[in-house]
Amino acid sequence: MEDNAELESFRRQWREEVSRRSKPRDGTRTTAGEAPAPPPTRFPPTRHEASDWKEVEEEDGPPPASFDPDALAQQVEPLSVEGEDGDDFTRRNIKEPSSALEHFERAVEKEAEGSLGDSLQHYRKAYRLDSSVDKTYRNKHYSHVWKKPAEPAPTTPAAPAPTQASAEEEKKLSMPDLIASFAHSPIPRADPMIENTPPPPCPIVNVPSEVLVEILGHVAVRDPATFGRMALVCKRLAYHFAHEQHVWKRVCQSSQFGFQGMHYSFSCDLHGHPTYTLGPRYTPFPENAPLEIPKPMASWSQVFQSFPRIRFTGIYISTVNYTRPGAASFYQNVSWNSPIHIVTYYRYLRFYPDGSVVSLLSTTEPVDVVPHISKENMMAARATFQKHHQRQVSTDPGQSVSGATDPVPPVAMAALKYGLRGRWHLASPVSSPETLSDDQKPAFGAQPLSDPRDLLIETEGVDPKYIYTMHLSLRSPTASRAAPNGAAPPNQSKNTKLIWKGFWSYNKLTDDWAEFGLRNDRAFVFRRVRGWGLD
Amino acid sequence: MTSIILTSSDGVDLTVERTVAERSVLIKNMLEDLGDSGEAIPIPNVNEAVLKKVIEWCDHHKNDPPTVGDEDDNRRKTTDIDEWDQKFMQVDQEMLFEIILAANYLDIKALLDVGCKTVANMIKGKSPEEIRKTFNIQNDFTPEEEDQIRRENEWAEEYVFSFLPCPY
Repeated sequence: MEDNAELESFRRQWREEVSRRSKPRDGTRTTAGEAPAPPPTRFPPTRHEASDWKEVEEEDGPPPASFDPDALAQQVEPLSVEGEDGDDFTRRNIKEPSSALEHFERAVEKEAEGSLGDSLQHYRKAYRLDSSVDKTYRNKHYSHVWKKPAEPAPTTPAAPAPTQASAEEEKKLSMPDLIASFAHSPIPRADPMIENTPPPPCPIVNVPSEVLVEILGHVAVRDPATFGRMALVCKRLAYHFAHEQHVWKRVCQSSQFGFQGMHYSFSCDLHGHPTYTLGPRYTPFPENAPLEIPKPMASWSQVFQSFPRIRFTGIYISTVNYTRPGAASFYQNVSWNSPIHIVTYYRYLRFYPDGSVVSLLSTTEPVDVVPHISKENMMAARATFQKHHQRQVSTDPGQSVSGATDPVPPVAMAALKYGLRGRWHLASPVSSPETLSDDQKPAFGAQPLSDPRDLLIETEGVDPKYIYTMHLSLRSPTASRAAPNGAAPPNQSKNTKLIWKGFWSYNKLTDDWAEFGLRNDRAFVFRRVRGWGLD
Repeated sequence: MTSIILTSSDGVDLTVERTVAERSVLIKNMLEDLGDSGEAIPIPNVNEAVLKKVIEWCDHHKNDPPTVGDEDDNRRKTTDIDEWDQKFMQVDQEMLFEIILAANYLDIKALLDVGCKTVANMIKGKSPEEIRKTFNIQNDFTPEEEDQIRRENEWAEEYVFSFLPCPY
C-alpha cells in the first residue's frame, strides 16, 4: 500500500507540472525556462497519465502564440543538419536506443515533447524487452526523489536557448540583404581532387543567367522540392531562386504540383471513372488569362506556399491512440493496478490529381503499408482476397494465385484489401449549385463548404449500400510555427494538415444519414513519400 | 535547295542546307539582312565539334513546324523529351553545356529547351550536395548562411519525414 501512496503523490505532481506547462508563460519567466529540448520530466509517467496529458494538449487547440518550450523543441527538431532523424515510422530509428532502459528514456523524452505516437512506440518496445523497465527507470533517475518527494520540481533553466533565439532574430533581419549580396557571385568551381592537378571540369560556370533561370524553371515544374534545394547549392543559385517569381507562377499553374491539379467539384465517380461536365472547370489560375496575385499574398512563391492545395506526392496520415480500460487480473483486486489498453490505428488518405482518392483505415503501421498504397495495389489486394476466398470455397486446385511475382508484401496486401475508393474536391470559391446536384447521389444535408480550405471526400462504404462522406479542412502544422513570435520560426510548409469537420455515412437504400463519432480521431498530417509524384 | 557555308570559331568551313541553318534565328536574320551573297558566315562563339552537333540536330528537326509563342509555352510545360533528342543529348557534360551555350547564342529555342530539360533531369530529386557533386560546384556559403537559407526555404521541401523505399 505504501507504493500506492507514493504513486499517487507522483501523479499529483505530474498533473501539476502538466498544467503549469500548458499555461502560457508570463513575462517574468520567459527567459528562464526556454529549454530547446525540455529535460526529461521529473516523474515517471504511467501509461494512463500519458494519454490523459495528450488529450488535454490537443483539445486545447493550437498553443498560444506566447513562448512555449515544447513548441520551440518541435521547431528546432527538424532543423538539425541531419534533418530526417525524427522519422517516427522508418526503421532507422531503432538502431539508436537498444536496451529496454534506453527505449524507456527515449519514450519519456518524446512524451515530454508531446509526440505521443513516438513515445508509445518506445514504451512498447521497452516493455517488450523488459516488463519491469519502469522500475529500473525509476531507480536510475528518481531514487533521490523517493527520499524527499514533497519537493516541487523546478524547471532547470537552460542557458543556450535565449542566446540562440536572439542570434536567430539577428539573422532573420538580414535575409533580403543576404540574398542581395549574392547577386554577382559566380558559381564556384570545385577544387581539384589532387593538389596541383587540373580541377574537375565545371562547364556550368559559363552558363549565362538567363539560361540558368531556364534550367531552374524546368527543375521547378519537375519537382518544387528540388527547386528549393537548389537554393542551397551555392550563392548564385540562391539569388536566382529568390528572384525568379515567374518560375513560381509556372509552378502554381502546373497540374502536377500546382493548382491546375486541384478540383473544386467532383470530377469522377466513387470508383474513379471520370465524369464530364459541359461547363468549364473552375481553376484559380487559368493559363490564358492575365493573372494577379491574390490579395493578401505578395509573391507567387507565397501563393504556392499558402493557397489551399492538396498534395499528391505523399500520404496523409491520421494516427489515433486511444485508451480503453481492460479487465482486472484475477489474482489482484486492487483497483490501481487494473490494466489499460492503448490502441493505435491509422487512417490513410492518398489523393490523385484526377480527383480520386484512396482511403484506408488500418492498424498496420505506416512503414509496412504506406509505400504500397495505390489504387492499383488496392484493387489487386481485393482481387487476390476474393480469389483466395473462392478457392477456399470451390477447392479448385488448378487455379493458383500468382503471388510469386507480386512485389507487395503480404502484410501490406492484407491491409490494402480494406482500402476504399473515393473522390475529393476542395471548396469551390464560386458558388455553383450543380456541384451538389450533378450527381445521382444527394450530397449530405446540402451543407455548403464555406471555407476555401475545406475539403470534401466521398468514399465507398464497407458495404456497397453505404457512402462515406468526410468533411476535412486544410490547416498549417502549428499556429506557433506560423506566427512570428520572436523565435525565428522556420518557414514551415503550410496546409499540410487536415483537420476533421465531420464524418457521415449515407445509406443509399434508406436515404439515411448517420454520423460517425470522432471522439478519438486526430488530424491528418502529410508525409511525402519518396517516389510518388516523381515519374 | 541552296546551301550556305558556316565558319566555326576554329576556322573550319561547314556546308549546310539553308533550311537547316535557318533553324537558328540568328543565322536566319543574318541571311535576310545580308542577302544571298554566297559568302561564308562566321560563327565566332562555336567550335567545329559543337557546330557539327548543332547542325545534326537542326537537320533532324528541319521539318518541324516553326515555333510560335503559344506552342513555345506548351513545349516548355511538358517535361518529357522526345526519344531522338534524348539519345542526341547523351554526351559528356562539357559537350552538353557547349550545346546549350551554342543554342542560346544561335537562338535555337527548341534545342536550348531540350538542353535545359536534360540538365533539369540531372538535377531532379537530388540533394544540394549531390547537385554540387554532379556539376563540380563548390559550396560557397558560410554555415550560418546555409542554415538561414535552409530555414527560409524549408516549406518547399514538404517533407521532414519520408518513407524509405520498400525495405522488402
